Amino acid sequence: MSHTANHPVLDPRFAQPFPKAVLPVLRNPQLRKNVAHAIDVIQAKRAKLVAEKTDWQELRTAASAIRTHALENLGFYLEQFEERCTAAGGTVHWAADAEEARKIILDILHAENASEVIKIKTMTSAEIQLNPFLEASGVKAYETDLAEIILQLGEEEPSHIVVPALHVNRSQVREIFSRTMGLKDLSDDPKELTNAARNYLRQKFLKIPTAISGANFLVAETGTVVVVESEGNGRMCLTLPKTMITLAGIEKVLPRFQDLEVMLQLLARSATGERMNPYNSLWTGVTPGDGPQRFHVVLLDNGRSSILAKKTERQTLKCIRCAACMNTCPVYRQTGGHAYGSVYPGPIGAILTPQLMQMHYAQSLPYASSLCGACYEVCPVKINIPEVLLELRSQVVNQERGKFVRFFDPMYLGLRVASVLFSRAWLFHTAQFFGGIGARLITRKDGWIHSMPSVGGKWTQTRDLRGFPSQTFHGWWAARGQQPSKEAK
Amino acid sequence: MSVSVSSRQQILDRVRGGTKSVSKPKEALAEAYAALPRDYVRAGRLSREACLELMIERLREYDAEVVECTPGELPAAIASQLALSGKHVFVAPPALPAEWLAAGFDWKVDHDLTSAEIEVAEGVVTAAFCGVADSGTIVLHHSDTEGRRVLTLLPDWHLCILRASQVVETFPEYLGRCQQAPTLVTTISGPSATADIEMTRIKGVHGPRFLHVILVNDQGA
Repeated sequence: MSHTANHPVLDPRFAQPFPKAVLPVLRNPQLRKNVAHAIDVIQAKRAKLVAEKTDWQELRTAASAIRTHALENLGFYLEQFEERCTAAGGTVHWAADAEEARKIILDILHAENASEVIKIKTMTSAEIQLNPFLEASGVKAYETDLAEIILQLGEEEPSHIVVPALHVNRSQVREIFSRTMGLKDLSDDPKELTNAARNYLRQKFLKIPTAISGANFLVAETGTVVVVESEGNGRMCLTLPKTMITLAGIEKVLPRFQDLEVMLQLLARSATGERMNPYNSLWTGVTPGDGPQRFHVVLLDNGRSSILAKKTERQTLKCIRCAACMNTCPVYRQTGGHAYGSVYPGPIGAILTPQLMQMHYAQSLPYASSLCGACYEVCPVKINIPEVLLELRSQVVNQERGKFVRFFDPMYLGLRVASVLFSRAWLFHTAQFFGGIGARLITRKDGWIHSMPSVGGKWTQTRDLRGFPSQTFHGWWAARGQQPSKEAK
Repeated sequence: MSVSVSSRQQILDRVRGGTKSVSKPKEALAEAYAALPRDYVRAGRLSREACLELMIERLREYDAEVVECTPGELPAAIASQLALSGKHVFVAPPALPAEWLAAGFDWKVDHDLTSAEIEVAEGVVTAAFCGVADSGTIVLHHSDTEGRRVLTLLPDWHLCILRASQVVETFPEYLGRCQQAPTLVTTISGPSATADIEMTRIKGVHGPRFLHVILVNDQGA
């Protein structure tokens, strides 16, 4: 299993830079086909259901304001959630980082004498690499979401935050299930494959008394936790076990119960293109006679609080994990999720991952974007992702500025030369003159530059460049005998 | 757990420090919250008739079976649905009206039934708290007529009795019907489903695969 290797594939601390990490994907036509197909289907469904909603923009405005308000007053709302959840019979734990969260969860499992645990899909648990840790500590974790089962049994990594196995097609699923479940006659009919998963899990739901979930929302006013799902595996895990452990990022808090009327409407349409997802489960602490009688919430910081302090970056934490940004992203469509080297891929991952890593890792991700802005347009909570991308790029440049390597890097060399050339008009004109001669040498008869020497070759590897015109604008202007300074009067 | 106490303080300090310039004092928080923009649609615009029609249409889009009846016809309508299901063993929430428990079937009323006992039942009959027409959603608050959560989860076949007076058009209208915030809620929008394999929607993974709704016209017509 890839998890048991020295480090998991999707650990930003060990991941390759994005331009290197995408290469294997770009050479894998099957993977690209799987990703494009899945995305086309979700996009079409989402577009149809967003169009029928007459108050979509008003919902976005409200959601953005609610999330901003919650983050700006997060200290108050976190404490209120803790107080109300505790009053309702829950136990609230606080984890400063991934290591502490893993330890808290393991301590609870030890206190329960649990050697097995069932899990509802939670990207936060993937963020803290919980499964390999539990495995190493002698606790077997069973994923119960269909996509997560495919990944767990197939020893694959998630490539999307809502449909994590979208890069795997039906015949690959058939292969994984027939091999790991010992079902020789399994066909690749999705219905039959789904049924195989149902049978595989049924007894585990009924027998394993401890479960782990994530949370879509925490409601401060009431201490309520919300989990949104489709399959019913979530309801199974939330209802049948004796003990429930919920792992949630501190940013998941909503001020009041009423805010759900905005969030749930937006989330289902944005995430899966449904008017409402098949099941929403809301619970508040412990209810005597119904569901788990011991309930723990682990509130995870793991780098989130450091994002709060910065005005532009703070909006990153408004995210409700619908994945609309990656579904619409022209880069993600070509690369799929693995190239991002994080459990959070796509545009939101490109801004969230480096920040969760305190800008020590994943510095290539803010560049994994064409800045087209499609992500901002679809975001249900109006995160201006391009704005944050640019801010992070400037931070990356500032980091590099302090490094010795900038003296040798062609880009920095080029920019320093440019900065000198642009500062004096005569230098600029001279450079233009010699540049024109140089360009003529590599311009073909058709007026295009098909291949540039040195670092310029990276540009012309995949596209042609228009050759320089025979006359510059300045030359043309001067030839007309008009001085711009006179005109300005 | 001294470690956790200090982590709690550490996290809250970092959060408060980071939001110092934008956070509101406690006394001003409610006012700031009240000023948040809420210009989305809250009250429905459809007539009662159109609203009920929409509810039925949405439910059918989810492949749920829907039949309508008057309050007087309800026991007979339930009996007929049960007979059509071809199933015999049903569970029922403890306070389900006695006349809903049609004769000729094996009823297990939930007085602390175990999961194993519920698992062997073939179907379940419950009431509901609310129906939301806009999304075809059935809302359960898990009262004594709606049943514990496990009751509507393990059996493969769910018959839900929804009164027309419980149907609202929009999700905000549902929240408006809550006197106070409920502690347990399950919303059901069609039978359990997945699209995890090539985005092909497959009905029925772990929750009930068959959802039947009887809409009781209790508002006169």
